Amino acid sequence: MALRALAAATSIAYVLAAATAQAQSMTVEAAAITGVSTDELAADAVQLRTFGDIAGGVRYFGELSWGWSSDADNDAFAAAYPYGNRVDVIEAYAEGIFHPHNVLFTARGGRFRTPFGIYNASDQAYTGFLRPPLIRYHEYSGISNQFLELGGDMTFGVPWLTVETAVGAPADVGHAVRTAGVDSVTRVQAYYGPLIAGFSYISSTPIVLEEDQTGRSRFTGIDLRWAHRGLQLRGEWITGRPYDGASTTGWYGDAILHAVSMGPVTAVARIERIAFDERAKSEAETTYRQTIGARVRLPLGFTVNVNVVHHAGDLDGYKPMSLDVGLMWSGRRSPM
Amino acid sequence: MRKSVRSWRNVFVLSLICSVASANGQTTADLHGTARAGDRPAPDTVVWLDAPNAPPLAAPPHALLDQRNLAFTPKVLVIRAGTLVDFPNNDRVFHNVFSFRDGKRFDLGLYPVGSKKRVLFDRAGLSRIFCNIHPNMAAYVMTVDSPYFARADESGAFTIPGVPAGTHRYHAWRPGAPDELTGTVATAGGAFAITWP
Repeated sequence: MALRALAAATSIAYVLAAATAQAQSMTVEAAAITGVSTDELAADAVQLRTFGDIAGGVRYFGELSWGWSSDADNDAFAAAYPYGNRVDVIEAYAEGIFHPHNVLFTARGGRFRTPFGIYNASDQAYTGFLRPPLIRYHEYSGISNQFLELGGDMTFGVPWLTVETAVGAPADVGHAVRTAGVDSVTRVQAYYGPLIAGFSYISSTPIVLEEDQTGRSRFTGIDLRWAHRGLQLRGEWITGRPYDGASTTGWYGDAILHAVSMGPVTAVARIERIAFDERAKSEAETTYRQTIGARVRLPLGFTVNVNVVHHAGDLDGYKPMSLDVGLMWSGRRSPM
Repeated sequence: MRKSVRSWRNVFVLSLICSVASANGQTTADLHGTARAGDRPAPDTVVWLDAPNAPPLAAPPHALLDQRNLAFTPKVLVIRAGTLVDFPNNDRVFHNVFSFRDGKRFDLGLYPVGSKKRVLFDRAGLSRIFCNIHPNMAAYVMTVDSPYFARADESGAFTIPGVPAGTHRYHAWRPGAPDELTGTVATAGGAFAITWP
């Protein structure tokens, strides 16, 4: 299965290379992951992305994803991409980044990840965790890592303080997606020394899995990152209502240790909690999870990820303890 | 009239400086060369000359290793020991630049778009630079104990400016090559060709 994924990655990389021939500079990148979990599932995924400069300081980014899991209801390996056995366009946008006289201004148009909290694929998919935080998994009525916007996004400020606003239509991937409509996201980020803090707010159409789930979805979030001498501490606290009459509150805290003396090894640990409450149906669920693991960079673009996960609380279909192992390969080509 | 006197005085002073430089053996030349690997150009080859008597740096010079489009630019940077290298983040995503093997060891942590961090490369050696978040981001910083160095362009051509006249011992390195090449080169010696087998 891993070989099949690699072959697909290579083939589509060359197709994308031809399609983006208009760019002034271009990089094509492919990533493939194959993994197994003692939650009795296996998964494979391929991502292809191309990015570079177009003209006049404008850049482009495009990404395709394919993923398959033997248990699509389990969140193992779904840190940032869908596993529905189909090819999805994840992001496709053009963007200008300008910073004259220390002022920062960016403008983006197209299809992009919802800029709420710690939202980049880089932050969720490649840091060593093989599962998304509970509050960021689309099944659990929070903010999904698979939320996407089709619209525009602007950032304004100085490097230590920026305000970002996005307005668009939900364009999510996966089997739990928001309904059609208009949504908006605002994010404020401040940076001082080793500390980065953010505040986010989103007003959106809801994910509708049952007919009585109506009304706007509104969430507020605070995110923090602190990095010093190879230790990164980060986390998010997110609260809001996924639809009328329900509330979801969740948080997670990550420790990512990559001291210089550790060479290619990065150690990771996460604690998290999510609580869902729907009074009308007398449903109240709380789940806890702890994760420890490691990511090891190997030669030739390979990376091994190992996570040990402990679950507690109201989470059906999961064993109390799981071991996830993923082998990832990533390669890049810059024909221009 | 006064302007004409000043011009002649400037010419006289300039001639005097040149004469002194020549008397001290400071005549310099630009050293041009090419780097090849077999029958192909060897871009990003780094070439430097031994210079044990080179004057020390009066102040640390600055160099730039940019982070843009999920890549380091340039992929190979050559600097003199004592240079401050700026690592600006010109991407919308966070990067975590680090170096853990030979050469300078550091970990810059996270910093957002529009900001930069700085590292002093104070000792000669090769530093391999990575991003802990993006596995395909990699660059080399070659720090040399010499003011006479150059990096070959896409065609393999390079120029070391301001080399004192005479014969010098050279070193050459390129990414992926198993060994560093060494030898001697004379500023008046014609074509300077570096060839890996």
